[in-house]
Amino acid sequence: MKKWFAASLLVLAIGYTYYGLSTLSLLTASGRPAAGFFPLIIGGLLVVACAVNLWGDLREWQRERASGQAPVHLADPETEAKADALGVDAHAIDGGPGFGRDVGIVFLYICGFVALLKVVGALFGMILFMLAFLFTFNRAHIISNVIYSIALPAFLYGLFKILLNASLPTSPLGF
Amino acid sequence: MLADIASNLSLGLSVAASPEGFLFLVLGAFLGMIVGLFPGFGPAAGIAVLIPMTFGLEPTIAIIMLAGIYYGSMYGGTITSILINTPGESATVASTIDGYPLAQKGRAGPALVMQAIASFFGGTVGVILITALAPSLANFAASFGPSEYFLIIAVGLLMLTTMMGDNKFKGFISALIGFAVGTVGVDVMSGQQRYTFGSPELIGGVYFVAVAIGLFGIGELLHCIFNGQHRQPAKRLRISFRDAAFWPSKQDYYESRWTFWRGSGIGFLAGVLPGSGATLGSIIGYSVEKKVAKDPEKFGKGEMRGLVAPEAANNAASAGAMVPLLSLGIPGSGATAVLLGAFLMWGLQPGPLLIVNDPEFVWGLIASMYLGNMILIAMSIFAIPLFVKFLDIPYVNVVPVIVLLCVIGAFAINASIIETWILVGSGLIGFAMKRYGYSPAATVLALVLGSMAEETFLQTYIISRGTMSLFWERPVSLVLSLILLAVILIPIIVNLMGRTRKETALTKQ
Repeated sequence: MKKWFAASLLVLAIGYTYYGLSTLSLLTASGRPAAGFFPLIIGGLLVVACAVNLWGDLREWQRERASGQAPVHLADPETEAKADALGVDAHAIDGGPGFGRDVGIVFLYICGFVALLKVVGALFGMILFMLAFLFTFNRAHIISNVIYSIALPAFLYGLFKILLNASLPTSPLGF
Repeated sequence: MLADIASNLSLGLSVAASPEGFLFLVLGAFLGMIVGLFPGFGPAAGIAVLIPMTFGLEPTIAIIMLAGIYYGSMYGGTITSILINTPGESATVASTIDGYPLAQKGRAGPALVMQAIASFFGGTVGVILITALAPSLANFAASFGPSEYFLIIAVGLLMLTTMMGDNKFKGFISALIGFAVGTVGVDVMSGQQRYTFGSPELIGGVYFVAVAIGLFGIGELLHCIFNGQHRQPAKRLRISFRDAAFWPSKQDYYESRWTFWRGSGIGFLAGVLPGSGATLGSIIGYSVEKKVAKDPEKFGKGEMRGLVAPEAANNAASAGAMVPLLSLGIPGSGATAVLLGAFLMWGLQPGPLLIVNDPEFVWGLIASMYLGNMILIAMSIFAIPLFVKFLDIPYVNVVPVIVLLCVIGAFAINASIIETWILVGSGLIGFAMKRYGYSPAATVLALVLGSMAEETFLQTYIISRGTMSLFWERPVSLVLSLILLAVILIPIIVNLMGRTRKETALTKQ
């Protein structure tokens, strides 16, 4: 997946640069930088950097395939890379399985929540999201799940709508 | 000069110690500890989500609360680092190295107390140094032109990305993504629309709060789910400050006496450098302490100095990051980038003139940091049993709180469903970035600084008629340009030398 993410970034970088070149002017009539000048520099650097990055990730993938070893699950890759660069070993927190499927499920629930916001309103949207999430990952506690799924959204709705006077989507019932 | 400082601080105290100021300071510090305690919702996300809730407050009071969340999280994040080997946020990763082994040895209490003392020491030293340095730096920076500002931004971002070792290209790409997203909207110079695809919602640009909440809130949350935190049972931990074993021994204090100072000094310097932040500060603090120790073999196995050093460093760094933010308007980390965004939303113009034009705001904030550190050390020590009880809450019950706060918070800013979808998309990208070693902090930093970077770059280009000669003709710009070159070239040279040594060693074998 790492190489696919790197490849997607390269495609987006090429798209960004191409779109900028075709819709924006680089220089004004008097020869000064126009709207497309800075985006072109950013786009060019992005394309080059993403290409080098993809090449590095592909090499790493080929090495892993050749060695037959699964990559170590890093708990915090960015921070651990900084620690490695400074000679500090912060890898004691690594290991364990990855729960990619759970990430997919939660992300779908979040998308569903946002999609339903304007249909059922903020309060019912929050309740539905919580019921879906808790009954997927915390099935054993039925009563507490139901109470929590009503209490927390009610509290947050009260906080945002009444106390902070924020504009939140309402249901067909008017709240 | 001392008379000026005393007068400025008393002005600041009159704001921070007012009933309203004090109340929101305590609230911010408390929320900061909670935010630091739970993985997946760091200070950047916490500040971003709370920004809309502070619209009814005075800007100074609001920033005091938001800043309290920032440095409060440094205290809270270490609790989980020590007790369950899970850093509450990235600046406390280095604290797990010796903090958790200390707890395993049955010394959790002394570890928690020493981390609180080290945090207080580092935070206080940092604030004293801000008091001394911020006005001087602001005076110095008043002479800066566009070339200096552009170079500081470039040096800051490059330092952040270069320090990522093998992942430096990923860091560089992260920063470029932030710049690219920042170009969406209307070009300030020509008024031409860029990358809006005809959508009226995008004419105003991509709102950084939605991106920040997405990257730091949803993104981190999804990463914690990937690491399986939601499937772990609650940790039933009990700590009481009435236990005899709770307090550190005299030996702990004696052995760490110089560590407090070293960690604070190193952390503050790291925090002042744009792009470094508390995470790098804490790692450098740990690394230096281990290198200067006469018994480095003890580190990593429950050595108190290995906990005190990063703790003093990360709190001093969080204070140090305020120096470029207040005096130059350039943030040093993701969280201070979000704070900068908050400044701009309230119409404050960060930069050298902020201290002159809004002294109540600047000194109120600095004074609040003194008070905040005092409140936090008391909270950290005497309320440890309370904060440890928060760990009884299974993470599966914390996830919905974070999601609801992020989604509803993002929608509530401008009542825009487009921005809420930007939040969701940023969350997915933030997860992928965390998973594969990219830097969401670099993206947000570049997004917030993007328009300033473009403006100063183009001004430099125009003034020097396309030759960019301002980068070496002006003395400060020349120094910054040399630093920029050093930041680019030194890692390459070190890498090449390392490879040459390896090849030579292999050849000899």
